[in-house]
Amino acid sequence: MRIGIPRGLLFYRFFALWKTFLEELGVEVVVSPPSNKAIIQHGLVYGVEEICFPVKVFLGHAYTLLGKVDALFIPRMVSFHKNEYNCPKILGLPDLVRNLFQVRSEAIIDEEVNMRDRGIRGWWEGFLAIGRRFTRDDWKIARALNRAEKAHREYRKKLQEGFLPENLIDHRPVFPRREKQVVLLGHPYLLGDSYINMNIVQKIHDLGYSVITPDMVPERTIRKALAILPKASFWTISNEIVGTAFSFLKKEDQNVRGFVHLVSFECGPDSLVGEVVERYIKREKRAFPYLRLEIDEHTGEAGLVTRLEAFVDMMEWRNAHHASHLPTPSTP
Amino acid sequence: MRATFPHLLHLDVALGILYPSLGIEIVPPPPITQKTIEIGVKFAPQNACFPLKVTLGNFIEAIERGADTIFMVGGVGPCRFGYYGQIQRIILEDLGYRVQFVLLDHPRYGVRSFLSALRAMTGGRLFLPEIVRVARLSFAVLRFTEELEAHRRALRCQVRDPQELDRVIDGTIEALRRVKTLRELEALKTSTLEKLDALPRNGRKDFLKVGIVGEVYIAQETRVNFNVEKLLGDLGVYVHNSVSTVEYILHTFRPLTRSREKLEAWELAKPYLKRFVGGEGIDSVGSTIRYAREGFDGVVHLYPFTCMPEIVAKGVLQAVSRDFDLPVLHLAIDEHSGEAGLVTRVEAFVDVLERRKQEKKRGLKRNGSLSRS
Repeated sequence: MRIGIPRGLLFYRFFALWKTFLEELGVEVVVSPPSNKAIIQHGLVYGVEEICFPVKVFLGHAYTLLGKVDALFIPRMVSFHKNEYNCPKILGLPDLVRNLFQVRSEAIIDEEVNMRDRGIRGWWEGFLAIGRRFTRDDWKIARALNRAEKAHREYRKKLQEGFLPENLIDHRPVFPRREKQVVLLGHPYLLGDSYINMNIVQKIHDLGYSVITPDMVPERTIRKALAILPKASFWTISNEIVGTAFSFLKKEDQNVRGFVHLVSFECGPDSLVGEVVERYIKREKRAFPYLRLEIDEHTGEAGLVTRLEAFVDMMEWRNAHHASHLPTPSTP
Repeated sequence: MRATFPHLLHLDVALGILYPSLGIEIVPPPPITQKTIEIGVKFAPQNACFPLKVTLGNFIEAIERGADTIFMVGGVGPCRFGYYGQIQRIILEDLGYRVQFVLLDHPRYGVRSFLSALRAMTGGRLFLPEIVRVARLSFAVLRFTEELEAHRRALRCQVRDPQELDRVIDGTIEALRRVKTLRELEALKTSTLEKLDALPRNGRKDFLKVGIVGEVYIAQETRVNFNVEKLLGDLGVYVHNSVSTVEYILHTFRPLTRSREKLEAWELAKPYLKRFVGGEGIDSVGSTIRYAREGFDGVVHLYPFTCMPEIVAKGVLQAVSRDFDLPVLHLAIDEHSGEAGLVTRVEAFVDVLERRKQEKKRGLKRNGSLSRS
């Protein structure tokens, strides 16, 4: 049996887990090729016009797999953190694919994984339901999930060490470390797909900076930093973005020079948590330079480069004029 | 304490009955106008959804009128509404307004903060018999305002003088503010229904029927959705709105109270959208299917631009519309929506429905059955 995984959205988070799990169950896994113009075009044509760019990209990837595989793997990842959700579009993703492309219900693996109320039990039951599509042997599923989780932990560890998803998935070359760093905030599916983010990591690197992404910050650090909010949001990945930003706010790390937040234009969660990040940065004494870059299918590369260059100039200027990063005392 | 709250159609009528009896002075925000929207848009995050901006405008206008406390409810997601209060509190703090922001959130985010917010919002007098009585009264009033609006939608295309209809209903809503007991409410109900019955009719029977589905705020708040239902009514269309604040409130307290309407809609939506996706996404799908079954001619889908649950619904509704052969007009509303463009689209939609209806009738005469099965 051939199962297709569209390369988009949570794929960048769960690539190792999903692939290992399916392969352990004896399934042939086909991942759609890296994004290109034709793939995205499908998503733009068949998607809903107002849906966010990453979902359109996902739909394009799903479309390219149609007819080439026996079923699409779009598990309904309702929640992978207690008391939290993913975005509504991820909750409805299998239904969108089914209705927009008129795919038979059996040809989409859409079992629900939901840790919101029931924690690890919801996780296990979700994968058990997926596994039962392929085998009646529950022990085999348990073993497959166990190995998949191990692969997942290794994948996450590599990401924490500074690898990007593309280094691990497609074995792209790793950028050498730079001394100066920029915290690059954003969802893994934006930061991980260098076609749709117009090579932003490379561009920042060429301007002399390394990036720190939320994937590179340990989860415990993120959650601890998040506690300064009276109520964190209910979207896991957005919380990780906020927590990552907050974890650098108070640090006296002179190498971290600024924040770039890459958001897709119609991202609902980030429209709110982005505001929280920006306002909390401005409230600090050491107000880091902050740049919000909105991208969608209409974004031009030239505009992006100009804004990045201007931002780097600003960081350099700030660094030269306020070496201590503290506001200069207003002495006469 | 001078408390304020966001507007949602006639919610202020019900809260205006509830709060004085709790010993809490309220300062309702001035009615939503273009200025409210401008204020909200100026200070809210640019890409936030429209209701956040309008309610922020409400708060700021109320503060300028002397409110010092804001009552707001939170939520558990995944719709953005559940995080409005947190964002609005941060914005008001940064703007330098010294107000107390009382945010009633789900107990899962802290039982203690839930209880203290509840105490602040009820003046600590929650379970006194008198309070229970007034709470029941104000809920009944809210329910009646929705009934009145339902009559207005249904009757506009049937009465000879729609302005007279508005006068009767608006007059009753004003009178509702002064209602003191359930018996008074009943009397007002009877007299209003008699007045509505007595309105001279224009005798039309073959009007188009259009259902409204969508997000709870935009689909109801006629002051921000360009009053689409009046527009349709003036074009001679019978309108039904599936969205209701009462159902919304009842559903929030499930399983203590549950809304049968909503559960039915969810069941209907299942073949297309298998689960709740936040907000009213699944309700929009289910209600559209219900309208199709009830023989409505079309559905208008109203939601804030970029609304996450409703965008999922919109994608799914394409299949519903195709399978049930029911035209759906999607109207995304935000501060950039222009009235002229919206009117044109609604008029064109009604033209399409009219033509389809006539074609169906002709096909029926010729073949003895519908031309399109």
